[in-house]
Amino acid sequence: MIFFVILLVLIFFAQVAEFFIPSIPWMFNAHVYIVPVIVFFGATVLPFPLMLALAFCAGFLLDALTVQVLGSRVEISLGSSILLYAVLAGIMHGLRPLFIRGRWEIHCIVCGLCTSAIVLAQYLMITFRRGFVFFTPEVWWQIGGPGLIAVLISPVVFWILHWIARATAYPYLPTSNRDDYE
Amino acid sequence: MNRTSIIALLIFGALLGYILSFGPDTTRKFQAGAYRLIAPFLTKGSGLQKQITSVRTGLKSLEELEKDNSSLQVENRELKATNKALRDVEHEVNRLRHALNYRERSVFKLVPAEILTRDSSTWWRTVTINRGKEDGVEGDMPVVTDEGLVGKTTTVSNNISVVLLVSDENCRVAAAVEGTREQGIVSGERVIGGLTPLLNLNFLSKQANLQPGQKAVTSGVGGVFPASLLIGTVKSFRVRELDGQAQLNPAVDLSQLEDVFVVTGRK
Repeated sequence: MIFFVILLVLIFFAQVAEFFIPSIPWMFNAHVYIVPVIVFFGATVLPFPLMLALAFCAGFLLDALTVQVLGSRVEISLGSSILLYAVLAGIMHGLRPLFIRGRWEIHCIVCGLCTSAIVLAQYLMITFRRGFVFFTPEVWWQIGGPGLIAVLISPVVFWILHWIARATAYPYLPTSNRDDYE
Repeated sequence: MNRTSIIALLIFGALLGYILSFGPDTTRKFQAGAYRLIAPFLTKGSGLQKQITSVRTGLKSLEELEKDNSSLQVENRELKATNKALRDVEHEVNRLRHALNYRERSVFKLVPAEILTRDSSTWWRTVTINRGKEDGVEGDMPVVTDEGLVGKTTTVSNNISVVLLVSDENCRVAAAVEGTREQGIVSGERVIGGLTPLLNLNFLSKQANLQPGQKAVTSGVGGVFPASLLIGTVKSFRVRELDGQAQLNPAVDLSQLEDVFVVTGRK
């Protein structure tokens, strides 16, 4: 439970930190997202109910801080990111046994794909509202860029979170007793 | 799936359904609450970011100093550091004097504000400013600098507000082109590839034939933006199937914004 609370606190501060991280000009202004990496790490190590709670908090915070309300129109409904996070975290949760066996590389790649999936879903939702779908190289970079960055930073973030999990004696670590992680 | 997981899933679904049913007013309230929660961190973070930038610039000048004469190195370092600090102060004094002059000669009631953060998400062009309800700021108020239009406020918390920039596709401004009878709607682009965003002035007549350098200003139609605020200058003009479209260079450099004014009314 301590580790879960730590993850919640980290998500909060990562969300605040994202406000100060500039976009990357040579990647067509792709943004750096840290929160999804933390959520997807949580999804692989936490039990299912806590994974849902983590996805709920992260999604709610993301929507509350980014969604635009213009007049009487909400562009993306508050809660849509919760659903997105829950579905993607569910996929990561399915890869949990592999993660516990110490195979992290697949999770780093899936983490990047899921991060891009969030940005793609946001794009599709605003496109549905605003009309006129187009996929230019700039759009692909802004969708794929955050995922690529997530793949690159996820080993470091995973390593730090793994270290915190050990420090708080969180029992997901590789073990012969399967009940610990089932 | 065990019983705990099923119960958790049901609770999650119920909460999600409840949140998805929120209307614009409730959403705005939750957003204001979230910004109230993170306001102290954004304010502190903004100050810290400025300090770090200043230190990084200072370190750069130290590198240059290492190449200088070894006997004068220490003294030179001190002098350059002092000079840099004074230049920073001078820059700030000039900036604030400029802003104060604009505020005094403006016909609008202006609330000065400082940019705290910018563009935190991929698809929305926004900045946060350090003024909110406590300073008389409300939603849908125009935000300007002495150079022209910046955008309008959307979410307003007690002492922090979100400004939707004119470069966002959702920020639509009724505009007129100076020296012509042409009127249209300015909006930003959904995706910005380069550093400088361009604005689109749509719904012009096909015969408009605008020339580069002509100025587009707010027409005052629509009720949010007062008339005659400079939006940008024409970069190019093209005729489309049903209308004419001009691309504008924004009057304000949106990537370098430091201080802005919220228009709260007329004097």
